[in-house]
Amino acid sequence: MNQAQNRAGAGVIGWMCGYVPEEIILAAGLESVRIRGAVPSLKQADSYLFPNFCPYVKNVFDSGLRGEYGNLSGIIFTNSCDAMRRLRDLWDSHVKTPFSFMLEVPRNRDEDAVTYFSEQLAALQTQLENFIGAKISRDSLQESIRVMNEQRALMAQLLERQKAKTAALEGSELLAFCLEAMTSPKEAFTKKLEKILAQSPSVNSGLNQQPRVLVVGSVMDRLDLLEKVEAAGASVVAFDTCAGLRHWSGLVQEGENAVHSLARRYLLKPPCPRMPGFERRIEQIIQFVRDYSVDGVIYSAVKFCDYGLFEAPVIEAELRNQHVPFMMIENDYVFGDMGRIGVRLEAFVEMMKGDVD
Amino acid sequence: MRAYLESIVAFTEKKLEQKPSGWHKLIKEIASTFSRAFDENAKVVWVSSYAFPMELLWAFDVTPFDFELACNIIPPAVSGNGSSIMVAAENQGYSRDICSFYRLALGAHVQGMVPRGDLFLTSSYYCNGKAKTNETVARAQEKESILFDVPNEISRSSIEYVGSQLKGIASRLEALTGKRLDTDRLKETIRWSNTAGASFRQVNELMKAKPSPWDGTKACFLGIAGSLFWGSAFRHEINVMLIHEMESRIQAGKTFPETYRVLWFPWPPVQQTNIFATLKEHQVSVATAESARVYWSEIDESDPFEGLALKALNDPHVGSSQRRVKAIVELAKDYQVDGAIHFSTPACRHENGSFRLIGDALRDEGLPVVNLEADMTDERNYFADKTRTNLLTFFEILKTSKTR
Ligand code: SF4
Ligand code: SF4
Repeated sequence: MNQAQNRAGAGVIGWMCGYVPEEIILAAGLESVRIRGAVPSLKQADSYLFPNFCPYVKNVFDSGLRGEYGNLSGIIFTNSCDAMRRLRDLWDSHVKTPFSFMLEVPRNRDEDAVTYFSEQLAALQTQLENFIGAKISRDSLQESIRVMNEQRALMAQLLERQKAKTAALEGSELLAFCLEAMTSPKEAFTKKLEKILAQSPSVNSGLNQQPRVLVVGSVMDRLDLLEKVEAAGASVVAFDTCAGLRHWSGLVQEGENAVHSLARRYLLKPPCPRMPGFERRIEQIIQFVRDYSVDGVIYSAVKFCDYGLFEAPVIEAELRNQHVPFMMIENDYVFGDMGRIGVRLEAFVEMMKGDVD
Repeated sequence: MRAYLESIVAFTEKKLEQKPSGWHKLIKEIASTFSRAFDENAKVVWVSSYAFPMELLWAFDVTPFDFELACNIIPPAVSGNGSSIMVAAENQGYSRDICSFYRLALGAHVQGMVPRGDLFLTSSYYCNGKAKTNETVARAQEKESILFDVPNEISRSSIEYVGSQLKGIASRLEALTGKRLDTDRLKETIRWSNTAGASFRQVNELMKAKPSPWDGTKACFLGIAGSLFWGSAFRHEINVMLIHEMESRIQAGKTFPETYRVLWFPWPPVQQTNIFATLKEHQVSVATAESARVYWSEIDESDPFEGLALKALNDPHVGSSQRRVKAIVELAKDYQVDGAIHFSTPACRHENGSFRLIGDALRDEGLPVVNLEADMTDERNYFADKTRTNLLTFFEILKTSKTR
């Protein structure tokens, strides 16, 4: 089930990629919701898309075709990858939502790219204004920046606690939390976060002797993989997936020229596998390995995602050079093949346990 | 690879001595350009020429090395044993779910078959795999890789963003060659590109003749491989030769027997297949191919960077599938085809995600479409019997639809 379909009202705008600035949606008085695939198995998408196509994109399309996002007023697509571009084309022809926008996210990170991205964000703002039939005021944009910054700062505190010898949360709890944050009204979730942070970090003594795992990769909307690792006796202390570390990193500068500040923060946040430059990704992952005292890395790639398929061998080679155990797990997005994956995960955890001992 | 490329040069030279042929001349020039990339003193720029404004490169003294083209003309790939090279990449962890073009290039790199690059240029359009392969090899060779990022919308800001990147790339080429960009020379390459664009439109016009005067599948190869030479005088020279050849064929009545005419999109197979023999056997001619279309209007030589930016932004594989749908339907009407053949490769996500929309639009025009599910260059994913059966069924549908 998906949050977008649960809430009534016409003002829900969905997005799939972490490069979409939620602030602009919120400033338009609309609700911002990350779209997750809403069906356990595909029924219709296979007749539109070839078998070897991103199962996340297929699931979203299938869900759309089957009316699973009933209350969604619109979607902001991005040019994240070939599969996403094609999803937009098919969506506009076969599903159709009242609002649809293709946000071009540059792949470069220089000043020209920031300028171009600002202009794209300004175009998005105009389109949303046309959609709601009102102007987005400067004040409401500043307010939504403040709201999102507040949430990010609190999430950063929570993620910081995972670095402790005894991680505050199991990885699966943390992921559930992150996914909830992306699909809940912001202020309400921020209150929840404050409450959790106000409590002293739960000392889960069972965790401190366990191997510590970092999960990296692309989209991961289900807890199955993390739960399996945990059940096998390891602790997932952090994940750098679409819902993970990179998503919460860095604040938007408050003050003048809000759209430009948004472009800066979103485009220059730690890159995901779509961005060019393996080096930056490798440095980032190695930094996470150090910061979170990680004993092993699992690369979780959705099947047929070219970014994962190209990046994983490069990262594997680098981590092996640093003697960090690595495992690549390809999945079908809904983890329907957990039986097969589970055996490999258990073996990996056993191997790490040997190393930790 | 170099020895093989030189043998192609020698072979085509002999052929050309016997009889002038635009096709052989093109192949000879491709092989000799790639062979030059092995020279120690050459300034080699890796690039995918079908997805980059080559006019800019021809304005510099560099040798373009199109790794996709080059790796796909080496003997194992052409003769249907490309996987013997791909396994070298697969053994390094590159999944068989990656497009075979890229496994082939990565495998050739692992096996030391390709030349060094001094600069690696790639682009964001067509597919993600291309850019990542280029980046992977650049990293292995400890060289810089530049991504030419082309958004999917045309506006003042995207033109400026793309144009400014081209200026940045020109500066990198200046640093590589140690020479300032000669703006007159850049204007000249654009002039040649416009001249060749016009002559290729003439080729396109001649291809409309019924029955087809020329093997349209070659047009498909020419559209892709010939893109290496946009901006050079050579490309126009080839077009002129092809025009003469086609005109004399038409005059002499040497056309292909043609029961049905089809449109081909988007890519041709590289490995040997039974497809073309089956088409010939049933007198099905490929009248035109999507990749043979000149999609851009004249480039403004007085504003070369903006002109080239517009050329890139207008590429049919940039932007939505809906844009391609429109162009393909027009092409089908212009060439009065009876149906269309779709051939891509299993891992071509950007293409395979568009097929349904394009196929539906053609069917709405009453044109049957067949999707030949087969790999371009990995023979492990090519099944001759299945392909033949698909084609024979398609011919039956053509028959019914034509008599209707
Ligand atoms: S991997 Fe990157 S581009 Fe893809 S959905 Fe996640 S944040 Fe967006
Ligand atoms: S998982 Fe990969 S293929 Fe799928 S939407 Fe994300 S980046 Fe694209």
